[in-house]
Amino acid sequence: MRDEAQVRLLYRAGALGIAIFSLGPILYMALTAASARPDFLSPGAGFTVTAAHFVSVLRTPSLHFPEYLRNSLIVSGLSAAFCVGIASPAAYAITRLPLPGRISFLLCILAVSMFPPVSMVSYLFQVMGKLGWINTYPALVLPYIAWILPLSLWILTSYFAQVPADLDRAALIDGCSRLAILRKVVFPVAAPGIFSTALLAFIFAFNEFLFALMLTTDHAARTVPVGIALFEGLHGEIPWGVVMAASVLTTVPVVLLTLVFQRRIIQGLTRGAVKG
Amino acid sequence: MGNRPEDPGARQSATPGDHTPGELARGYAFLAPLSAFVAVFVIVPVIGTFADSLMRDVTFLPKRFLGLANYRALLSDPGFWQAMRFTCLFTLVSVPLELFLGLAFALLLARPSPARGLLRACVLVPWALPAAVSGRVFQLVYNYHYGLANYLAGIFGLSDHPVNWLGTPIGAFASLVTADAWKTTPFVAIILLAGLSGIPEDLYLQAQIDRAGFARRFTRVTLPLLSPVIVVALLFRTIDALRVFDLVFVLTGGGPGGSTTSLSLYGYQYFLGGDFGYGSAVSVALFLVAFGLSVLYVRIGRFARELA
Amino acid sequence: MKVRIALLALLALLAAWLPIATLGGGRAEGKTITFAVGGASAEFDFWERLVRDFTAETGIGVELLRQPTDTGLRRQGLVVALKSRKSDPDVFLMDVAWLAQFAASRWLAPLDPHFAAGGCGDRKAFFPRIMELADTYEGNLVALPVYVDGGVLYYRSDLLKKYGIGGPPRTLEELLRYAKRVQQGERREKPGFFAFVWQGAQYEGLVCDFLEFAGKDGGFTVREGSVSVDTPANRKALGFMRDLIHRYGVSPPNTYTGMKEEEVRLFFQSGNALFERNWPYAWPLHEAQGSPVRGVTAIAPVPSFAPGSGVSTLGGWHAGISRYSDAKPESVRFLCFLGSYAAQKRLAVGLGWSPGRMDVYDDPEVLARLPHFRKLRTVFVNARPRPILPYYTQLSGILQKHLNAALSGNVPPGKALAAAQKEMQAVVTRYQGK
Repeated sequence: MRDEAQVRLLYRAGALGIAIFSLGPILYMALTAASARPDFLSPGAGFTVTAAHFVSVLRTPSLHFPEYLRNSLIVSGLSAAFCVGIASPAAYAITRLPLPGRISFLLCILAVSMFPPVSMVSYLFQVMGKLGWINTYPALVLPYIAWILPLSLWILTSYFAQVPADLDRAALIDGCSRLAILRKVVFPVAAPGIFSTALLAFIFAFNEFLFALMLTTDHAARTVPVGIALFEGLHGEIPWGVVMAASVLTTVPVVLLTLVFQRRIIQGLTRGAVKG
Repeated sequence: MGNRPEDPGARQSATPGDHTPGELARGYAFLAPLSAFVAVFVIVPVIGTFADSLMRDVTFLPKRFLGLANYRALLSDPGFWQAMRFTCLFTLVSVPLELFLGLAFALLLARPSPARGLLRACVLVPWALPAAVSGRVFQLVYNYHYGLANYLAGIFGLSDHPVNWLGTPIGAFASLVTADAWKTTPFVAIILLAGLSGIPEDLYLQAQIDRAGFARRFTRVTLPLLSPVIVVALLFRTIDALRVFDLVFVLTGGGPGGSTTSLSLYGYQYFLGGDFGYGSAVSVALFLVAFGLSVLYVRIGRFARELA
Repeated sequence: MKVRIALLALLALLAAWLPIATLGGGRAEGKTITFAVGGASAEFDFWERLVRDFTAETGIGVELLRQPTDTGLRRQGLVVALKSRKSDPDVFLMDVAWLAQFAASRWLAPLDPHFAAGGCGDRKAFFPRIMELADTYEGNLVALPVYVDGGVLYYRSDLLKKYGIGGPPRTLEELLRYAKRVQQGERREKPGFFAFVWQGAQYEGLVCDFLEFAGKDGGFTVREGSVSVDTPANRKALGFMRDLIHRYGVSPPNTYTGMKEEEVRLFFQSGNALFERNWPYAWPLHEAQGSPVRGVTAIAPVPSFAPGSGVSTLGGWHAGISRYSDAKPESVRFLCFLGSYAAQKRLAVGLGWSPGRMDVYDDPEVLARLPHFRKLRTVFVNARPRPILPYYTQLSGILQKHLNAALSGNVPPGKALAAAQKEMQAVVTRYQGK
């Protein structure tokens, strides 16, 4: 039918439009990073490929980009690991034990995730300052864990609720403790969900900005988003090639992560938002 | 939340006899580390910030208790109201835009096709990037001299001379909304997509039998059943839009002339000026707005469900 | 049971590892100091060369902390470190605009003992007024001017000659007259010609320009908790600035939306202007190879309404030592090095920046390379700092907003200044009191 073909064409066009919209700016970023001059779109400028910006970003000691990457990976990895570790027993308890007030607890925890970071950062800054922890990993990891726990709890609860309790009962009869059940029975079955949760936690921790901006002072603990934001100036003369090269280096692992794990990420997000 | 969450334990709990009192205690123990973390690193700081807002906490003056003086000053501070206006306007414009776009994306992504996985991954990439990175990319896109936006504007003949996107309040506002939409539409789309997949097929079949066109199918079947998910998406997006910081910091720096300074940024600027008490008051104001709105949403959501 | 113990042990281990893992990034005590500087390439390369020589000479290592070029971001990096009492950076550069905030917050180590002992040389070698006003807090010296800035008027000597004008304007009326005459003539060939470019965008530079237009008779002061900015002299100045754009048309229409230092410099450098108000940094750029205005640019003091009432706004960056530094003796030595004749001369010759030391301005080598330094020295001796207050940046933000509104033509100058004064007074009152 002609209608059917028309609809299919519309969908194809729409899909193409979405792809261009989503990836266009990233392509522009990559082109600028590889171009000798940032104004290659201007008439008469021409496009010359160069790797100089990438070399500059990675090799200039005073830019500290490799350190930023290292810090981001460590902080995000630790935060994700601890989040999953702390939220799993809680999710287990909520889905297995008829604890009175557990719904309210879940709602409260969700409400906590709505707090604006700016309403926590000044106190955290002052406390971390007094402890001498400014510009160290704990200054970031600990608040990150607390800030990402609500989301982790919600997602894990949703996954654990799908693991049948009969498995538990069998293990209980065998005399296993609850923790052992969590480890031996629930984890293996819910492993994909746990992985999704860890992945999302990692992404959220990696992209966090305000805490990292106020709780770090230099490359000892500073993370990539802050590093890129403060690269050689925010306004005025900006060395676009170098900034875009750093952005590309940040984007590549993210793109790979997303491409490979898109289903996991989507599953995790929807579990967190849509119950059941 | 739009719907009262299904009790996650309901399906799994066996008869009461399965659980001893000791077990329940252990259950609470499982919740303890999480509660402790959240209490110490989220709840205490918020309370601490509120306490700080009642003080004159300035680096170059002795500390003193002020009561509500900071808030009184806030109410007559034109800079605060400018930040409030911008934040609310930004939220009011970007959230519906993202909802609309997200719905379009979701409808497109719902259709089975061989490239669906790839398409979803494409859509997800902007969301997965740090806001600081996307901020810098759009800073270049909207660059006056050689940015992509002016290049495209020239090609499509939208204007005869380069547009000063980031140099005028309206241009900067539009740039921010665009950058934010680019980054967060995927999130809305994903959530709505999940909602769409939850709508039973037979309802659509029924509508087709009744010879309902696309528009009628959409308004009679899709939208009503999608509304709880829409409310969820709205809630998340609204709260996120209200507390926007990263994008504004990187893309416009709050300019030009403070016209795109969000409440978060305004509070932060006071921290830099050494006035932690006043900055805390701004943060508390933002907190109250966000909190108030979430309560409102929950009420509306519950009310809508009751109606349906 | 065993599993639980194992898990707890693992958690404890991880928790203990966190602080230990962060000790990386610490450096050897005492022998290396951190110096925070701006990140523009030319500037940064200069500092690298300079500190290398310092280390070769003294054996004290200096690690450069590269900050963004934006002054607000530089302040942010330092505020976070100082408020949390970090020992790094030990030495840092501060914009004179927010130096008072740092001094009043007691973040700067006092420097008097080191000058008294003669270790740092003669403090009278620096511009005395600047030292007294900007670098001294409650009687203590807390910073050294590394380089100073003051607004100057650049002009096209060739154009003045072409239109039979004898010399640069001594009053704003003269400036306007010359501007109109030259613009009328030049517009025939260059439709984009605007006689007078200056900074009018809503940012700190606008306040600097405004204070210069207002001259000695104007300006804004905060005395005994009372703000004074709505004065007849200021109203006249603001009205004149607005008229330059809207009534006489000698300044471009985007003056108040986009004109900052670089935009102004580039406009003048393209050959399309007669007068430019800018900082001395523009001189070497105007005189560089390939510049359209090379060889035809000259400098004059900024004029105001009455002859001789012009006064430059003081800018510049000063160096201080963190009170929490763990390497004070080494930091002092480095600071003295920064203020030494040799280093300051290198700053002038190498970067073209104006040193904080007065005696360098008489050096024959410097004058050969930078002949305009003779005039600049007079400018700096008389330059007027903006109000030295810890909360100056807050006041400035308010003033900028209202000045810009008046420049746009939307608000009459009197109303703008009155509103500014009211808002500024609220801030001052809030920060008064013990």
